[in-house]
Amino acid sequence: MSRQMGDSHRRFLQTMMANGIVDEQGAKTLYQRCCEIHNTQYAPDKLDEFIDILNSRLQPLFMQIRKGMSEENGQQYYALVNMAETDVTRMSSDYADNELELFQKTMDLIVSSENGKACSTDILNSADTLTTKKLKKSETEHLLQRLVHDKWLTEKRGEYTLSTRCIIEMEPYIRTMYQDQVKVCHICHNFAFQCQICENPACSIKIHNPCVARYFKGRSEPRCPACDDFWPHEIPEVRRPHSHSRK
Amino acid sequence: VSPDRARRRRETGGDEEAPRQNGSGSGRRRGDQPQTDGDGGDSAIGSNDLQDDDNDPGLRREIRSKYRDLINSVQQNREDMLSPSNNKLTEVLEQANKLFKDVRQAREAALDAQLLVVATDLGKEKASQLFSEGAAFDPTAFAEHLLSFMGLNRLEDGDDEQNGVDGYLPQDAWHRLARRADWCFRTAPSFHYMMGSFHAEPPPPKQRIERQRKAPSKEAKRIMPTQLRKMEESHQEATEKEVERILGYLRGYYGDEPTSPISYYEFVIDPNSFSRTVENIFHTSFLIRDGLARIYLDKAKLPCIEPVEEGEVEAGGPSSRKQCIISISPKMWRVSKFQLLTLQQHKTLL
Amino acid sequence: MAQRRRQSAPQNQSQAAAQEEDDDLTFTQPSTSQVQRGLEKVTNAQVDQKTAEVVQYVLVKDQKKIPIRRADLVKHVVKEYRNIYPEIIKRAVRTFDQVFGLSLVEIDTKNHIYILVNKLDKEEGASQFNNPTNPKIGLLFVILSVIFMKGGVVRENLIWNTLKKLRVDPGEKHEEFGDVKKVVTDEFVRQRYLEYARIPHTEPAEYEFRWGQRADMEVSKAKILEFMGQLHEQEPQSWSQQYREAHSSSAQTGTSSSQR
Repeated sequence: MSRQMGDSHRRFLQTMMANGIVDEQGAKTLYQRCCEIHNTQYAPDKLDEFIDILNSRLQPLFMQIRKGMSEENGQQYYALVNMAETDVTRMSSDYADNELELFQKTMDLIVSSENGKACSTDILNSADTLTTKKLKKSETEHLLQRLVHDKWLTEKRGEYTLSTRCIIEMEPYIRTMYQDQVKVCHICHNFAFQCQICENPACSIKIHNPCVARYFKGRSEPRCPACDDFWPHEIPEVRRPHSHSRK
Repeated sequence: VSPDRARRRRETGGDEEAPRQNGSGSGRRRGDQPQTDGDGGDSAIGSNDLQDDDNDPGLRREIRSKYRDLINSVQQNREDMLSPSNNKLTEVLEQANKLFKDVRQAREAALDAQLLVVATDLGKEKASQLFSEGAAFDPTAFAEHLLSFMGLNRLEDGDDEQNGVDGYLPQDAWHRLARRADWCFRTAPSFHYMMGSFHAEPPPPKQRIERQRKAPSKEAKRIMPTQLRKMEESHQEATEKEVERILGYLRGYYGDEPTSPISYYEFVIDPNSFSRTVENIFHTSFLIRDGLARIYLDKAKLPCIEPVEEGEVEAGGPSSRKQCIISISPKMWRVSKFQLLTLQQHKTLL
Repeated sequence: MAQRRRQSAPQNQSQAAAQEEDDDLTFTQPSTSQVQRGLEKVTNAQVDQKTAEVVQYVLVKDQKKIPIRRADLVKHVVKEYRNIYPEIIKRAVRTFDQVFGLSLVEIDTKNHIYILVNKLDKEEGASQFNNPTNPKIGLLFVILSVIFMKGGVVRENLIWNTLKKLRVDPGEKHEEFGDVKKVVTDEFVRQRYLEYARIPHTEPAEYEFRWGQRADMEVSKAKILEFMGQLHEQEPQSWSQQYREAHSSSAQTGTSSSQR
């Protein structure tokens, strides 16, 4: 069943352009709203087919709407991403060269960390090592604010993590640049930054916090799925999508 | 210029304005200048018996300054004067009339003319307002309404009005207005991304020598970056040398005892070194691949190896040959080593 | 490309603009028959690839609402496919229309300048997806409204004085907008929201404001009047001249596709 692109698809895409990323519930609501506005037939469980039609037209433009899980709450999100790397895409004017360099260094810090976090002090220090134009402390702080506002980083208590949008879009970049450093979650097979690690040094598998919650739910004695050692970390509660309205 | 004025000028006499000396701003010169019958002398300063006012430079300056003030006020407060709610324009014109009574010189008259141009222009616009259909639009009122919309908190005290600031705007004032105003716009949303917005060099591949890696083809060599290519070439040379060496050994052993089969494991296993054993397996595999040696199973179903005669090399090519994977672990090697040593001891014992 | 002596001094804006005009002069729009012949020499996939690159380029330039020059498109993107430029543009227009619901329009047919405009109406009412709007839109709205209500052209002093009443002083740095004069006379002008032209024979020089070509395409006069009515608690029709202009056929900014 190949449906054509309609204004409902276009409005959905325009909203994705303006927001960058949307949670699953939000995507469903948006899909419904777009169909209502343009008097299009709406079937509640056909969101993915709806997006597939968009993606088939976006593919030749090296754009896609990709799905990914949040390391914070385990929910699914939809992000509109760019997939090309060309002279043209490098003309993007949101951030200056030195700002992008600082962002890369922040990524380095986060990826090489144990807990998938980089503290602002370390980021400010790396601002001194920029090979492009230096950034002042106030400029770095302002830049970090913008990166959070634009949903590339998440900030909590002075520590910065890769946002869900960042992980979804930068996945190929992360794979190439950090191939020896990153590991995937043993349960969902996506990159794991904020996660728990098996304490067995011969094992060391990583599992996302929400994946831990789901996998070990209801088990009296949590054991590592790979090496069967006792899983020593606190098992978080499974989070329901509607309990928190914030993205 | 009224006839009156013209007459006054002629009587003043003198042609040019004498250059002022040392800021003799005040006062006039008496009896210094020759009296001439002139016409048109503009701002002549000469001794005469006319009213002091006409020639008082200070007064002249004052009049010109007042004119300039009037012109400025009209220009700066244009829309204020345009407002139908006041008579400011009329007041300006009345002031101009008063000033004009004291105009004596052409310079002042020129300013007067300029003021009239500006005022007439304004008057024209004001008149057009009267005849334009529909409600008037007053930017001042507009601004007031906007301030209310943006959430201006007007203060109760009248005292604060003295500062000219009545009330304060909330921080999101302009955001509020922007959100509402946005509905009047049909802006396209813009596309933002991080991937592909900058170039980053991927890290150089680790210098691990991968045992299972095939020698790269000629095409692969061409597009490889120079650094990598050099590493590949030296590695390749080393491999080729080793393969040659092993072939030499194999031919040697076979030549010594052509009828005695060479056990594959005996051939590749080095009892003293696991890594050397692995290397031997690796290099031997090249011989098999290239059809220079052959592996077959003996009566005991154990693998044996023998060199292929030159000329015997199958015309079928590499695809016709069967391949298999041989693996060995340190554990296996230890076991085999033990077995080999036992076998050797056994042989010597025999 | 003809040899041209490069100026050693750093180019100022007018010189840079002149240079780009020269680049454009070397590009003449190929004729239909030339395009036909050109298309025979390339595969459909190649043309689609170039179209995709043009779409990417336009999207990038639109991030800051900078109008796109034909000269830049040819130089940076189309390059050796310039002989089939009209076909590529045609396909890009179609892509923007069909995939994004956007219009790629030539707002300046003399200098060949394009912008992206929305074909879909914004959803009225607050929505969880209405990303926080840029406050500059508020500032722009005030200026455009005054110009429109005053018949289409105003002297700059009227704008400055109105803004001052809103606590926005072009002479001072504003908390939200920074260098207001620069935003209004430079940024908005470059984006083609406003035109800022010198009034001849004025000394000292005085300037006047008009709507820019982007405003003509993007901004609905009818919707401005509607908001005016709400603010002044008057019927929009009470401003009869403006009402007539807002609802004339020339004021329509494209077909509306939103439904309630």
